[in-house]
Amino acid sequence: MTGAARRLEPALLLAPGAVALIAAFLLPILQVLAYAFFKDGALSWSALDFTAWRRMTDDDYHLFVGLRTLRIGLIVTAACLILGYPLALVIDAASARMKALLFLALLLPLMTSVVVRTFGWLVILGRGGPIARALRDLGLVPNNFQLAYTETGIVIAMTQVLLPYMTLVLVGVIGQIDRRLVEAARTMGAGWLHALRHVVIPLSKPGIIAGSVLVFAITISSFITPVLIGGLKLPVLAAGVFHSAIAYNDWPLAAAQATALFAIVALVLLPYALTARGNAR
Amino acid sequence: MTLGAPLAIRAVAALFVVLMIVFLLAPLVVVMAASLSAGGYLVFPPQGLSLKWYAEILADRRYQEALTTSCVIALLSTAIAVPLGTAGAIALTRFRFPGRSAAQLLFLSPLLFPTIVVAIGLLILASRLLGGSSIAVIVAGHVALAIPFVVRTVGAVLEGVDRATEEAARVMGANAWRRYSLVVLPQCKSGIMAGTLLAFLVSFDDAVLVLFLRTPSIDTLPLRIYASLEFSPDPGVAAASTILILMAAFVVLISERLLAGRHVVG
Repeated sequence: MTGAARRLEPALLLAPGAVALIAAFLLPILQVLAYAFFKDGALSWSALDFTAWRRMTDDDYHLFVGLRTLRIGLIVTAACLILGYPLALVIDAASARMKALLFLALLLPLMTSVVVRTFGWLVILGRGGPIARALRDLGLVPNNFQLAYTETGIVIAMTQVLLPYMTLVLVGVIGQIDRRLVEAARTMGAGWLHALRHVVIPLSKPGIIAGSVLVFAITISSFITPVLIGGLKLPVLAAGVFHSAIAYNDWPLAAAQATALFAIVALVLLPYALTARGNAR
Repeated sequence: MTLGAPLAIRAVAALFVVLMIVFLLAPLVVVMAASLSAGGYLVFPPQGLSLKWYAEILADRRYQEALTTSCVIALLSTAIAVPLGTAGAIALTRFRFPGRSAAQLLFLSPLLFPTIVVAIGLLILASRLLGGSSIAVIVAGHVALAIPFVVRTVGAVLEGVDRATEEAARVMGANAWRRYSLVVLPQCKSGIMAGTLLAFLVSFDDAVLVLFLRTPSIDTLPLRIYASLEFSPDPGVAAASTILILMAAFVVLISERLLAGRHVVG
Protein backbone atom coordinates (compact mmCIF):
# COMPACT_ATOMS: atom_id res chain seq x y z
CA MET A 1 0.00 0.00 0.00
CA THR A 2 1.40 3.36 -0.96
CA GLY A 3 1.77 6.29 1.43
CA ALA A 4 -0.82 8.32 -0.44
CA ALA A 5 -3.42 5.56 -0.20
CA ARG A 6 -2.67 5.26 3.48
CA ARG A 7 -3.31 8.96 3.97
CA LEU A 8 -6.49 8.70 1.94
CA GLU A 9 -7.91 5.83 3.98
CA PRO A 10 -8.93 7.77 7.14
CA ALA A 11 -10.43 10.51 4.98
CA LEU A 12 -12.57 7.97 3.12
CA LEU A 13 -13.65 6.38 6.40
CA LEU A 14 -14.58 9.71 7.96
CA ALA A 15 -16.26 11.36 4.98
CA PRO A 16 -19.76 9.78 5.10
CA GLY A 17 -20.17 10.36 8.84
CA ALA A 18 -18.77 13.87 8.57
CA VAL A 19 -21.22 14.74 5.79
CA ALA A 20 -24.15 13.45 7.86
CA LEU A 21 -23.02 15.31 10.97
CA ILE A 22 -22.40 18.55 9.09
CA ALA A 23 -25.84 18.37 7.46
CA ALA A 24 -27.90 17.25 10.47
CA PHE A 25 -25.90 18.72 13.36
CA LEU A 26 -23.53 21.54 12.42
CA LEU A 27 -25.73 23.30 9.83
CA PRO A 28 -28.81 23.36 12.12
CA ILE A 29 -26.70 24.96 14.87
CA LEU A 30 -25.37 27.58 12.45
CA GLN A 31 -28.92 28.19 11.25
CA VAL A 32 -29.99 28.91 14.84
CA LEU A 33 -27.11 31.38 15.26
CA ALA A 34 -28.01 33.06 11.96
CA TYR A 35 -31.64 33.49 13.01
CA ALA A 36 -30.63 34.83 16.41
CA PHE A 37 -28.57 37.68 14.94
CA PHE A 38 -29.82 38.33 11.40
CA LYS A 39 -33.22 39.18 9.98
CA ASP A 40 -34.63 36.00 8.36
CA GLY A 41 -31.24 34.38 8.87
CA ALA A 42 -29.73 36.31 5.94
CA LEU A 43 -25.98 36.62 6.51
CA SER A 44 -25.27 40.23 5.57
CA TRP A 45 -24.35 43.34 7.55
CA SER A 46 -27.56 45.11 6.55
CA ALA A 47 -29.63 42.26 7.94
CA LEU A 48 -28.00 42.42 11.38
CA ASP A 49 -30.91 42.44 13.79
CA PHE A 50 -30.99 42.35 17.58
CA THR A 51 -34.71 42.88 18.14
CA ALA A 52 -35.20 39.28 19.29
CA TRP A 53 -32.57 39.84 21.98
CA ARG A 54 -34.12 43.12 23.00
CA ARG A 55 -37.52 41.45 23.29
CA MET A 56 -35.91 38.81 25.46
CA THR A 57 -33.94 41.13 27.74
CA ASP A 58 -36.69 43.77 28.06
CA ASP A 59 -39.10 41.26 29.49
CA ASP A 60 -38.76 40.36 33.19
CA TYR A 61 -40.46 37.08 32.38
CA HIS A 62 -37.42 35.80 30.47
CA LEU A 63 -35.14 36.92 33.29
CA PHE A 64 -37.17 34.91 35.81
CA VAL A 65 -37.16 31.88 33.52
CA GLY A 66 -33.39 32.16 33.11
CA LEU A 67 -32.83 32.48 36.85
CA ARG A 68 -35.10 29.51 37.58
CA THR A 69 -33.19 27.43 35.02
CA LEU A 70 -29.82 28.29 36.57
CA ARG A 71 -31.13 27.73 40.11
CA ILE A 72 -32.47 24.28 39.21
CA GLY A 73 -29.18 23.51 37.44
CA LEU A 74 -27.09 24.43 40.49
CA ILE A 75 -29.26 22.57 43.01
CA VAL A 76 -29.44 19.42 40.86
CA THR A 77 -25.66 19.50 40.34
CA ALA A 78 -25.07 19.84 44.09
CA ALA A 79 -27.55 17.06 44.87
CA CYS A 80 -25.97 14.72 42.29
CA LEU A 81 -22.52 15.39 43.76
CA ILE A 82 -23.66 14.83 47.36
CA LEU A 83 -25.40 11.55 46.47
CA GLY A 84 -23.08 10.47 43.66
CA TYR A 85 -19.74 10.77 45.46
CA PRO A 86 -20.50 8.33 48.30
CA LEU A 87 -22.22 6.05 45.78
CA ALA A 88 -19.10 6.08 43.59
CA LEU A 89 -16.92 5.28 46.65
CA VAL A 90 -19.10 2.29 47.48
CA ILE A 91 -19.13 1.04 43.87
CA ASP A 92 -15.35 1.34 43.76
CA ALA A 93 -14.99 -0.74 46.91
CA ALA A 94 -17.65 -3.32 45.99
CA SER A 95 -17.00 -6.89 44.88
CA ALA A 96 -17.12 -7.59 41.13
CA ARG A 97 -20.63 -9.10 41.40
CA MET A 98 -21.98 -6.23 43.44
CA LYS A 99 -20.30 -3.75 41.09
CA ALA A 100 -22.07 -5.28 38.06
CA LEU A 101 -25.39 -5.06 39.89
CA LEU A 102 -24.88 -1.41 40.86
CA PHE A 103 -23.88 -0.54 37.29
CA LEU A 104 -27.14 -2.05 36.08
CA ALA A 105 -29.05 0.06 38.62
CA LEU A 106 -27.31 3.15 37.16
CA LEU A 107 -27.53 2.23 33.47
CA LEU A 108 -31.14 1.06 33.37
CA PRO A 109 -32.68 4.43 34.32
CA LEU A 110 -30.04 6.18 32.19
CA MET A 111 -31.11 4.29 29.07
CA THR A 112 -34.86 4.48 29.72
CA SER A 113 -36.73 7.14 27.76
CA VAL A 114 -36.82 10.37 29.74
CA VAL A 115 -40.56 10.59 29.06
CA VAL A 116 -41.09 7.31 30.88
CA ARG A 117 -38.93 8.25 33.88
CA THR A 118 -40.73 11.56 34.22
CA PHE A 119 -44.05 9.75 34.03
CA GLY A 120 -42.97 7.60 36.99
CA TRP A 121 -42.08 10.70 38.99
CA LEU A 122 -45.43 12.32 38.17
CA VAL A 123 -47.17 9.31 39.74
CA ILE A 124 -44.86 9.30 42.78
CA LEU A 125 -44.94 13.07 43.36
CA GLY A 126 -48.59 13.65 42.48
CA ARG A 127 -51.51 14.26 44.81
CA GLY A 128 -52.49 10.56 44.91
CA GLY A 129 -48.88 9.33 45.03
CA PRO A 130 -47.19 7.47 47.90
CA ILE A 131 -45.24 10.51 49.21
CA ALA A 132 -48.24 12.84 49.48
CA ARG A 133 -50.36 10.07 50.98
CA ALA A 134 -47.78 9.14 53.63
CA LEU A 135 -47.25 12.78 54.64
CA ARG A 136 -51.02 13.34 54.74
CA ASP A 137 -51.60 10.26 56.89
CA LEU A 138 -49.02 11.59 59.33
CA GLY A 139 -50.92 14.88 59.40
CA LEU A 140 -47.87 16.83 58.28
CA VAL A 141 -49.35 18.44 55.18
CA PRO A 142 -52.72 19.78 54.05
CA ASN A 143 -55.10 17.67 51.93
CA ASN A 144 -54.21 19.14 48.56
CA PHE A 145 -50.45 18.70 49.06
CA GLN A 146 -48.38 17.41 46.15
CA LEU A 147 -44.80 17.75 44.93
CA ALA A 148 -45.74 17.60 41.25
CA TYR A 149 -45.93 21.09 39.71
CA THR A 150 -43.37 22.44 42.19
CA GLU A 151 -39.71 23.33 41.75
CA THR A 152 -38.83 20.78 44.44
CA GLY A 153 -40.54 18.14 42.31
CA ILE A 154 -38.52 19.16 39.25
CA VAL A 155 -35.29 18.98 41.28
CA ILE A 156 -36.10 15.50 42.67
CA ALA A 157 -36.91 14.08 39.23
CA MET A 158 -33.95 15.76 37.52
CA THR A 159 -31.58 14.48 40.21
CA GLN A 160 -32.67 10.91 39.53
CA VAL A 161 -32.26 11.45 35.80
CA LEU A 162 -28.72 12.83 36.18
CA LEU A 163 -27.31 10.91 39.15
CA PRO A 164 -26.10 8.05 36.87
CA TYR A 165 -24.01 10.48 34.76
CA MET A 166 -22.32 11.98 37.83
CA THR A 167 -21.72 8.61 39.48
CA LEU A 168 -20.29 6.98 36.34
CA VAL A 169 -17.85 9.85 35.79
CA LEU A 170 -16.76 9.73 39.47
CA VAL A 171 -16.34 5.94 39.45
CA GLY A 172 -14.05 6.28 36.43
CA VAL A 173 -11.78 8.78 38.20
CA ILE A 174 -11.82 7.20 41.67
CA GLY A 175 -10.97 3.81 40.14
CA GLN A 176 -7.79 5.28 38.68
CA ILE A 177 -6.42 6.61 41.99
CA ASP A 178 -3.28 4.76 43.04
CA ARG A 179 -4.35 2.58 45.96
CA ARG A 180 -0.85 2.71 47.43
CA LEU A 181 -1.32 6.41 48.21
CA VAL A 182 -4.35 5.63 50.35
CA GLU A 183 -2.57 2.69 51.97
CA ALA A 184 0.41 4.92 52.73
CA ALA A 185 -1.81 7.52 54.38
CA ARG A 186 -3.50 4.80 56.44
CA THR A 187 -0.25 3.15 57.61
CA MET A 188 1.14 6.54 58.50
CA GLY A 189 -1.71 6.78 60.97
CA ALA A 190 -4.32 8.78 59.07
CA GLY A 191 -7.87 7.89 60.06
CA TRP A 192 -10.31 6.72 57.40
CA LEU A 193 -12.00 10.09 57.17
CA HIS A 194 -8.65 11.89 57.16
CA ALA A 195 -7.40 9.74 54.25
CA LEU A 196 -10.65 10.38 52.40
CA ARG A 197 -10.44 14.13 52.92
CA HIS A 198 -6.76 14.66 52.23
CA VAL A 199 -5.99 11.92 49.68
CA VAL A 200 -9.01 10.52 47.86
CA ILE A 201 -11.11 13.66 47.44
CA PRO A 202 -8.25 15.90 46.22
CA LEU A 203 -7.12 13.22 43.77
CA SER A 204 -10.64 12.82 42.40
CA LYS A 205 -11.04 16.55 41.77
CA PRO A 206 -10.92 16.19 37.96
CA GLY A 207 -13.88 13.80 38.19
CA ILE A 208 -15.78 16.12 40.50
CA ILE A 209 -15.35 18.98 38.04
CA ALA A 210 -16.09 16.87 34.95
CA GLY A 211 -19.20 15.32 36.52
CA SER A 212 -20.53 18.67 37.78
CA VAL A 213 -20.00 20.38 34.42
CA LEU A 214 -21.72 17.52 32.60
CA VAL A 215 -24.70 17.43 34.98
CA PHE A 216 -25.14 21.21 34.99
CA ALA A 217 -24.97 21.45 31.18
CA ILE A 218 -27.50 18.65 30.68
CA THR A 219 -29.84 19.95 33.41
CA ILE A 220 -30.16 23.49 32.10
CA SER A 221 -30.81 22.27 28.56
CA SER A 222 -33.37 19.64 29.63
CA PHE A 223 -36.84 20.07 28.40
CA ILE A 224 -39.12 17.05 28.92
CA THR A 225 -38.78 16.63 32.70
CA PRO A 226 -39.21 20.30 33.73
CA VAL A 227 -42.11 20.78 31.30
CA LEU A 228 -44.05 17.71 32.43
CA ILE A 229 -43.32 18.08 36.17
CA GLY A 230 -43.38 21.88 36.35
CA GLY A 231 -46.28 22.37 34.01
CA LEU A 232 -46.96 25.74 32.41
CA LYS A 233 -46.50 27.63 35.68
CA LEU A 234 -42.79 26.88 36.04
CA PRO A 235 -41.19 27.32 32.60
CA VAL A 236 -37.44 26.85 32.06
CA LEU A 237 -35.26 28.15 29.21
CA ALA A 238 -35.61 25.06 27.03
CA ALA A 239 -39.39 25.14 27.40
CA GLY A 240 -39.27 28.77 26.29
CA VAL A 241 -37.49 27.75 23.09
CA PHE A 242 -40.20 25.18 22.40
CA HIS A 243 -43.10 27.56 23.02
CA SER A 244 -41.61 30.38 20.96
CA ALA A 245 -40.92 28.00 18.07
CA ILE A 246 -44.01 25.78 18.09
CA ALA A 247 -46.79 27.75 19.79
CA TYR A 248 -45.91 31.22 18.42
CA ASN A 249 -43.91 30.30 15.31
CA ASP A 250 -41.50 33.03 16.44
CA TRP A 251 -38.21 31.68 15.06
CA PRO A 252 -36.03 34.72 15.85
CA LEU A 253 -37.06 34.66 19.52
CA ALA A 254 -36.69 30.85 19.70
CA ALA A 255 -33.26 31.14 18.06
CA ALA A 256 -32.17 33.87 20.50
CA GLN A 257 -33.35 31.80 23.48
CA ALA A 258 -31.60 28.69 22.14
CA THR A 259 -28.43 30.74 21.57
CA ALA A 260 -28.56 32.07 25.14
CA LEU A 261 -28.90 28.50 26.40
CA PHE A 262 -26.06 27.34 24.16
CA ALA A 263 -23.88 30.25 25.33
CA ILE A 264 -24.34 29.28 28.99
CA VAL A 265 -23.56 25.64 28.23
CA ALA A 266 -20.47 26.65 26.23
CA LEU A 267 -19.35 28.99 29.00
CA VAL A 268 -19.43 26.07 31.44
CA LEU A 269 -18.02 23.41 29.09
CA LEU A 270 -15.22 25.39 27.45
CA PRO A 271 -12.90 25.93 30.46
CA TYR A 272 -13.42 22.29 31.34
CA ALA A 273 -12.60 21.11 27.82
CA LEU A 274 -9.44 23.23 27.83
CA THR A 275 -8.19 21.99 31.21
CA ALA A 276 -9.07 18.39 30.35
CA ARG A 277 -6.88 18.63 27.27
CA GLY A 278 -4.09 20.16 29.36
CA ASN A 279 -4.27 17.25 31.81
CA ALA A 280 -4.15 14.68 29.05
CA ARG A 281 -0.81 15.93 27.79
CA MET B 1 -11.02 3.68 48.00
CA THR B 2 -13.01 2.88 51.13
CA LEU B 3 -9.93 0.99 52.27
CA GLY B 4 -10.32 -0.08 55.89
CA ALA B 5 -13.48 1.89 56.56
CA PRO B 6 -14.79 1.48 60.12
CA LEU B 7 -17.69 -0.93 60.65
CA ALA B 8 -20.18 1.85 61.42
CA ILE B 9 -19.39 3.52 58.12
CA ARG B 10 -19.80 0.22 56.26
CA ALA B 11 -23.26 -0.19 57.81
CA VAL B 12 -24.25 3.35 56.86
CA ALA B 13 -22.87 2.77 53.35
CA ALA B 14 -24.96 -0.38 52.91
CA LEU B 15 -28.12 1.47 53.95
CA PHE B 16 -27.22 4.39 51.67
CA VAL B 17 -26.74 2.11 48.66
CA VAL B 18 -30.12 0.47 49.22
CA LEU B 19 -31.76 3.91 49.40
CA MET B 20 -30.00 5.01 46.21
CA ILE B 21 -31.12 1.88 44.33
CA VAL B 22 -34.69 2.57 45.46
CA PHE B 23 -34.37 6.21 44.36
CA LEU B 24 -32.93 5.25 40.95
CA LEU B 25 -35.40 2.51 40.17
CA ALA B 26 -38.53 3.91 41.88
CA PRO B 27 -40.01 5.69 38.83
CA LEU B 28 -39.51 2.61 36.65
CA VAL B 29 -41.00 0.22 39.22
CA VAL B 30 -43.99 2.50 39.79
CA VAL B 31 -44.73 2.67 36.05
CA MET B 32 -44.44 -1.10 35.62
CA ALA B 33 -46.67 -1.73 38.64
CA ALA B 34 -49.28 0.81 37.52
CA SER B 35 -49.48 -0.87 34.09
CA LEU B 36 -50.75 -4.07 35.73
CA SER B 37 -53.75 -2.32 37.27
CA ALA B 38 -57.18 -3.84 36.80
CA GLY B 39 -58.86 -0.54 37.62
CA GLY B 40 -59.44 2.45 35.37
CA TYR B 41 -57.28 4.95 37.25
CA LEU B 42 -53.58 5.43 37.27
CA VAL B 43 -52.51 4.83 40.85
CA PHE B 44 -49.70 3.26 42.79
CA PRO B 45 -50.02 0.67 44.23
CA PRO B 46 -52.35 -0.65 41.45
CA GLN B 47 -55.91 -1.77 42.14
CA GLY B 48 -55.96 -5.49 41.41
CA LEU B 49 -53.75 -7.20 38.85
CA SER B 50 -54.45 -7.72 35.17
CA LEU B 51 -52.89 -7.45 31.74
CA LYS B 52 -55.98 -5.83 30.26
CA TRP B 53 -54.26 -2.49 29.59
CA TYR B 54 -51.67 -4.25 27.43
CA ALA B 55 -54.48 -5.82 25.38
CA GLU B 56 -56.11 -2.39 25.27
CA ILE B 57 -53.14 -0.51 23.81
CA LEU B 58 -52.16 -3.33 21.44
CA ALA B 59 -55.67 -3.14 19.99
CA ASP B 60 -55.65 0.68 19.88
CA ARG B 61 -54.98 1.93 16.35
CA ARG B 62 -53.24 5.10 17.56
CA TYR B 63 -50.76 3.05 19.57
CA GLN B 64 -50.26 0.61 16.68
CA GLU B 65 -49.46 3.46 14.31
CA ALA B 66 -47.16 5.14 16.85
CA LEU B 67 -45.30 1.88 17.43
CA THR B 68 -44.89 1.31 13.68
CA THR B 69 -43.63 4.86 13.10
CA SER B 70 -41.19 4.57 16.02
CA CYS B 71 -39.84 1.29 14.64
CA VAL B 72 -39.48 2.63 11.08
CA ILE B 73 -37.63 5.75 12.28
CA ALA B 74 -35.39 3.79 14.66
CA LEU B 75 -34.53 1.09 12.09
CA LEU B 76 -33.66 3.63 9.39
CA SER B 77 -31.60 5.77 11.79
CA THR B 78 -29.73 2.70 13.07
CA ALA B 79 -29.08 1.37 9.57
CA ILE B 80 -27.46 4.68 8.63
CA ALA B 81 -25.73 5.60 11.91
CA VAL B 82 -24.01 2.26 12.50
CA PRO B 83 -21.92 2.08 9.29
CA LEU B 84 -21.09 5.81 9.44
CA GLY B 85 -20.15 5.65 13.12
CA THR B 86 -18.16 2.44 12.70
CA ALA B 87 -16.12 3.85 9.82
CA GLY B 88 -15.52 7.01 11.85
CA ALA B 89 -14.42 5.02 14.90
CA ILE B 90 -11.95 2.99 12.82
CA ALA B 91 -10.45 6.17 11.37
CA LEU B 92 -10.23 7.82 14.80
CA THR B 93 -8.65 4.87 16.64
CA ARG B 94 -6.46 3.36 13.90
CA PHE B 95 -4.98 6.41 12.17
CA ARG B 96 -3.04 9.53 13.10
CA PHE B 97 -3.74 12.36 10.68
CA PRO B 98 -3.97 16.15 10.63
CA GLY B 99 -7.38 17.37 11.80
CA ARG B 100 -7.95 14.25 13.88
CA SER B 101 -9.01 16.12 17.03
CA ALA B 102 -11.42 18.29 15.02
CA ALA B 103 -12.94 15.14 13.50
CA GLN B 104 -13.19 13.60 16.95
CA LEU B 105 -14.96 16.71 18.25
CA LEU B 106 -17.46 16.58 15.37
CA PHE B 107 -18.16 12.85 15.82
CA LEU B 108 -18.64 13.02 19.60
CA SER B 109 -20.16 16.41 20.36
CA PRO B 110 -23.82 15.54 19.64
CA LEU B 111 -23.49 13.56 22.89
CA LEU B 112 -23.03 16.75 24.97
CA PHE B 113 -24.63 19.43 22.83
CA PRO B 114 -28.14 20.57 23.91
CA THR B 115 -30.49 18.54 21.67
CA ILE B 116 -33.06 21.31 21.78
CA VAL B 117 -30.74 23.68 19.88
CA VAL B 118 -30.23 21.08 17.15
CA ALA B 119 -34.00 20.47 17.11
CA ILE B 120 -34.97 24.09 16.50
CA GLY B 121 -32.17 24.38 13.91
CA LEU B 122 -33.39 21.32 12.02
CA LEU B 123 -36.95 22.69 12.13
CA ILE B 124 -35.90 26.02 10.62
CA LEU B 125 -33.69 24.35 7.99
CA ALA B 126 -36.37 21.83 7.01
CA SER B 127 -39.04 24.53 6.78
CA ARG B 128 -36.87 26.77 4.61
CA LEU B 129 -35.25 24.21 2.32
CA LEU B 130 -37.66 21.29 2.24
CA GLY B 131 -40.97 23.01 2.83
CA GLY B 132 -41.46 21.33 6.18
CA SER B 133 -40.47 18.40 8.34
CA SER B 134 -40.85 14.72 7.45
CA ILE B 135 -39.78 11.28 8.61
CA ALA B 136 -36.54 11.79 6.64
CA VAL B 137 -35.68 14.94 8.63
CA ILE B 138 -36.30 13.12 11.92
CA VAL B 139 -34.13 10.22 10.75
CA ALA B 140 -31.32 12.64 9.80
CA GLY B 141 -31.49 14.16 13.29
CA HIS B 142 -31.49 10.76 14.97
CA VAL B 143 -28.50 9.67 12.87
CA ALA B 144 -26.58 12.67 14.25
CA LEU B 145 -27.64 11.82 17.82
CA ALA B 146 -26.77 8.12 17.45
CA ILE B 147 -23.38 8.34 15.69
CA PRO B 148 -21.44 9.27 18.90
CA PHE B 149 -22.77 6.16 20.64
CA VAL B 150 -21.51 3.94 17.81
CA VAL B 151 -18.16 5.78 17.75
CA ARG B 152 -17.81 5.23 21.51
CA THR B 153 -18.74 1.51 21.52
CA VAL B 154 -16.70 0.56 18.44
CA GLY B 155 -13.82 2.81 19.55
CA ALA B 156 -13.80 1.25 23.02
CA VAL B 157 -13.58 -2.25 21.54
CA LEU B 158 -10.89 -1.32 18.99
CA GLU B 159 -8.73 0.33 21.66
CA GLY B 160 -8.45 -3.06 23.34
CA VAL B 161 -7.58 -5.04 20.20
CA ASP B 162 -4.05 -5.82 19.08
CA ARG B 163 -3.20 -4.03 15.86
CA ALA B 164 -0.67 -6.68 14.83
CA THR B 165 -3.18 -8.79 12.89
CA GLU B 166 -4.25 -5.81 10.83
CA GLU B 167 -0.64 -4.81 10.17
CA ALA B 168 0.14 -8.41 9.19
CA ALA B 169 -2.74 -8.44 6.70
CA ARG B 170 -1.50 -5.15 5.31
CA VAL B 171 2.13 -6.29 5.01
CA MET B 172 1.16 -9.64 3.49
CA GLY B 173 -0.56 -7.72 0.71
CA ALA B 174 -4.24 -8.20 1.56
CA ASN B 175 -6.26 -5.63 -0.34
CA ALA B 176 -8.45 -3.16 1.52
CA TRP B 177 -11.61 -5.20 1.00
CA ARG B 178 -10.08 -8.40 2.44
CA ARG B 179 -8.38 -6.48 5.25
CA TYR B 180 -11.66 -4.91 6.38
CA SER B 181 -13.98 -7.86 5.82
CA LEU B 182 -11.64 -10.49 7.28
CA VAL B 183 -9.76 -8.57 10.00
CA VAL B 184 -10.95 -5.12 11.02
CA LEU B 185 -14.73 -5.58 11.00
CA PRO B 186 -14.63 -8.94 12.82
CA GLN B 187 -12.44 -7.20 15.42
CA CYS B 188 -15.12 -4.51 15.86
CA LYS B 189 -17.98 -7.01 16.01
CA SER B 190 -19.00 -6.73 19.66
CA GLY B 191 -18.68 -2.94 19.51
CA ILE B 192 -20.83 -2.80 16.38
CA MET B 193 -23.51 -4.94 17.99
CA ALA B 194 -23.59 -2.83 21.17
CA GLY B 195 -23.57 0.33 19.05
CA THR B 196 -26.50 -0.98 17.01
CA LEU B 197 -28.56 -1.59 20.14
CA LEU B 198 -27.72 1.82 21.61
CA ALA B 199 -28.37 3.64 18.32
CA PHE B 200 -31.77 1.98 18.02
CA LEU B 201 -32.63 2.90 21.60
CA VAL B 202 -31.47 6.53 21.23
CA SER B 203 -33.76 6.94 18.22
CA PHE B 204 -36.68 4.96 19.64
CA ASP B 205 -36.61 6.82 23.00
CA ASP B 206 -36.18 10.34 21.65
CA ALA B 207 -38.97 12.77 22.38
CA VAL B 208 -37.18 16.13 22.05
CA LEU B 209 -36.36 16.06 18.32
CA VAL B 210 -39.72 14.56 17.35
CA LEU B 211 -41.63 17.13 19.42
CA PHE B 212 -40.09 19.84 17.24
CA LEU B 213 -40.11 17.92 13.96
CA ARG B 214 -43.41 16.06 14.11
CA THR B 215 -46.09 16.73 11.56
CA PRO B 216 -49.80 16.01 12.04
CA SER B 217 -49.26 12.59 10.46
CA ILE B 218 -46.20 11.62 12.54
CA ASP B 219 -46.74 10.13 15.98
CA THR B 220 -44.21 8.00 17.86
CA LEU B 221 -44.53 5.97 21.02
CA PRO B 222 -42.71 8.49 23.28
CA LEU B 223 -44.82 11.27 21.72
CA ARG B 224 -48.03 9.37 22.50
CA ILE B 225 -46.90 8.94 26.10
CA TYR B 226 -45.88 12.61 26.34
CA ALA B 227 -49.20 13.78 24.91
CA SER B 228 -51.27 11.67 27.29
CA LEU B 229 -49.23 12.88 30.27
CA GLU B 230 -50.22 16.45 29.46
CA PHE B 231 -53.88 15.42 29.74
CA SER B 232 -55.09 12.50 31.81
CA PRO B 233 -52.94 9.40 31.80
CA ASP B 234 -54.63 6.00 32.21
CA PRO B 235 -52.91 2.66 32.96
CA GLY B 236 -52.59 2.18 29.17
CA VAL B 237 -49.85 4.84 29.13
CA ALA B 238 -48.09 2.86 31.85
CA ALA B 239 -48.34 -0.27 29.71
CA ALA B 240 -46.80 1.55 26.72
CA SER B 241 -44.07 2.95 29.01
CA THR B 242 -43.35 -0.52 30.37
CA ILE B 243 -42.61 -1.70 26.85
CA LEU B 244 -39.97 1.06 26.61
CA ILE B 245 -38.51 0.12 30.01
CA LEU B 246 -38.22 -3.55 29.05
CA MET B 247 -36.53 -2.55 25.80
CA ALA B 248 -34.01 -0.41 27.70
CA ALA B 249 -33.37 -3.29 30.12
CA PHE B 250 -32.71 -5.64 27.20
CA VAL B 251 -30.29 -3.19 25.55
CA VAL B 252 -28.43 -2.48 28.82
CA LEU B 253 -28.03 -6.17 29.72
CA ILE B 254 -26.84 -7.23 26.26
CA SER B 255 -24.54 -4.26 25.62
CA GLU B 256 -22.97 -4.57 29.08
CA ARG B 257 -22.14 -8.18 28.23
CA LEU B 258 -20.86 -7.26 24.76
CA LEU B 259 -18.65 -4.48 26.03
CA ALA B 260 -17.49 -6.41 29.12
CA GLY B 261 -17.07 -3.53 31.52
CA ARG B 262 -16.10 -0.84 29.01
CA HIS B 263 -18.68 1.82 29.65
CA VAL B 264 -19.92 4.14 26.98
CA VAL B 265 -21.30 6.86 29.19
CA GLY B 266 -19.04 8.62 31.66
